Amino acid sequence: MTSEQNISTAASAKTSKRRKIVSLDRKKARAGWLFVLPFIIGFVLIYLPMIFDSIKLSFNKIHILAGGGYTLEWVGFENYSEALFTDTGFIPSLISGLKNLAFDIPAILLFSLFMAVLLNQKMVGRAAFRAIFFIPVILSTGIMESIEASNILSTYMESSSGIDTGEGTSAAAEIVSAVDVQYLFSSMKVGAELATYVSTMVNNIFDIVNRSGVQMLIFLSGLQSISPAIYESCKMDGATAWETFWKITFPMISPMILVNAVYTVIDSFTTSKNVVMAYIDTVYEKTDGQVISSAMSWMYFLLIFLIVGVIAGIVSAFVFYQRKND
Amino acid sequence: MNASDNMNAPRVKRESKNRIRVDFERAPLKERLKARFLNGYFLGKIIWYIFRLILLIGISYVVLYPFISKIAGSFMSPEDFVDVTVRLIPKHFTLDIYKAIFTELGYWQAFTNTLFLSGASAVLQVFVCCMIGYGFAKFKFKGRGIIFLLVMVTMVVPHQTIQLSMFMHFRYFDLYGLLSLLGGNGITVGTDEVTGEAVKILTGLNIAPHHVTEAGKMVYDGIWTNTGLNLCNTYWPLILMSATGLGFKNGLYIFLLRQFFRSIPDELEESAYLDGSNTFHTFLTIILPLSVPMMITVFLFAFSWQWTDDFYTGLFFTSSKTSLMTTLVGIPDSLKLEYAGQDLYYAAIRNTCGITIIMPLVILYVFLQNFLVEGIERSGLTAD
Repeated sequence: MTSEQNISTAASAKTSKRRKIVSLDRKKARAGWLFVLPFIIGFVLIYLPMIFDSIKLSFNKIHILAGGGYTLEWVGFENYSEALFTDTGFIPSLISGLKNLAFDIPAILLFSLFMAVLLNQKMVGRAAFRAIFFIPVILSTGIMESIEASNILSTYMESSSGIDTGEGTSAAAEIVSAVDVQYLFSSMKVGAELATYVSTMVNNIFDIVNRSGVQMLIFLSGLQSISPAIYESCKMDGATAWETFWKITFPMISPMILVNAVYTVIDSFTTSKNVVMAYIDTVYEKTDGQVISSAMSWMYFLLIFLIVGVIAGIVSAFVFYQRKND
Repeated sequence: MNASDNMNAPRVKRESKNRIRVDFERAPLKERLKARFLNGYFLGKIIWYIFRLILLIGISYVVLYPFISKIAGSFMSPEDFVDVTVRLIPKHFTLDIYKAIFTELGYWQAFTNTLFLSGASAVLQVFVCCMIGYGFAKFKFKGRGIIFLLVMVTMVVPHQTIQLSMFMHFRYFDLYGLLSLLGGNGITVGTDEVTGEAVKILTGLNIAPHHVTEAGKMVYDGIWTNTGLNLCNTYWPLILMSATGLGFKNGLYIFLLRQFFRSIPDELEESAYLDGSNTFHTFLTIILPLSVPMMITVFLFAFSWQWTDDFYTGLFFTSSKTSLMTTLVGIPDSLKLEYAGQDLYYAAIRNTCGITIIMPLVILYVFLQNFLVEGIERSGLTAD
């Protein structure tokens, strides 16, 4: 054997080895593509055409033909201008939707974090309480929500006083007025806005409990992932429970706060209970309203996207990550 | 050392060679109890316990109250709704409402239809979301970030936004004009009368749009038209969307599962690869068995959200031929009557419909609720 051959075999071994490494990476990349393939197929074949159609429809007028099928007439931004300037209900519903959101996010986040911390503690009947708290996630959705929305029986049964007069007030409202949160806060001199905020929060407790199930689950799992060793060393150093919460639990759970903030925005914006969604639905039912409603909902989507981006940006500035890599 | 220390110091007495006896001077019981219970630490703890218990019970009441009031109302007879002394406990106990729902509204038909629809789409969604989530969690490939962003986009777009085009898309189903090309553009099979066993099974599953004529024959309502397939009133739209990870809230499932799969150490798969297993085989035989609790959690979500969903079913099931759980809400004919408490009575009937709809879910939840918390607890879910 000549030395030349030796070198060439060594070189070929080297190249084959290198090719093998590259191909392993590629193999893994290909496997990754294969795993997400169902989504890509669905997105390209089903979702993308729907999105394009919807955008296209919002620039058109639609005429359904008698024999099936439909024709479109290009009208440009007419639908959009009609939604914004001619329609009287759209802008007010947007504003009230935003107002509700500004109220909902802190309320739901605070409540779900508080409840998750509470349900994470060791106590008698913890499993039962957990089971009860997650009932709304499973049961109070879709059709149950719409049954509940038109349910006059619930308030009727709750009314306790005025049996003799025949008109009753709700028992929950009575508790609130008995405690008189408003009065309590006004004497504390913390401002009327906070007082009304807290009292609406107390009055809407049912709604808030109903909508914070998934968030509670996510917070709970986040709490579970904090190593008990950190708490132990904290206790050894003499930290109180309050300090431990703010110095350990809160930073460690902050990624979850980001996730939950984003999820809450998306969830409260896209439920059919939302003011704007309900309004768009009523427009959809009108004759010729389909295209206007799709123009409205595209503007609405852009708004949601913007708000999600802004909130994610603000919250992620305060998020603490334990593992910086990956 | 002071006196009290000396007094309390243990006295050691040797009884025999191998035995000693130690006597402690114990503080009196009163003193001990005082020291144990009358301090700030213990009092604070007790107050916190009581406060916590009251809070939890109160919120549990808030959660359970709507169900309690619905159940109470479902057993009431019409007279109870005009009687002002009747609130939560029925005076004239009756099962009329339940009987009417089960016999007149076609409950069992709706139940089997919905069971098939929810079961099939939930199983598909769990498996497909597991695959997609696993792909995002464990493999690095170009465009991963962008595709994940697209998943998030499908979650952010309100489904009302694409409601109209979604309906149009499945009413005139076509994949970029491919299907009408294959099917021969313009061919209309129209109302074809079909018999035979295979068709009976298909129609039993309600997979193709059809109706039964007066003569008792199955008639297909124009599957092929020149504008594409009509998939409305079939299970196909939801099945297709579930199989491609586009179903109801699938973005959330993909996100949860991705976070879960990230917490599984890579070494596990690497050792499987070294033993000659390929990626898909590893996923099926090693990863999936590990993630059963998480999968049950996602299944519970997918199943029950599909079960009570009235958006997609309302959109795709336009004819009243397919009865589903969500179309069950109504007033049975035998219960229709005019009187002063009519509105309340009808509300109670609708609530009872709601109870019968969620009853199977309650049973499912009782069995699976352990997994719901534990699946997500063990997930080691972190957002980074």
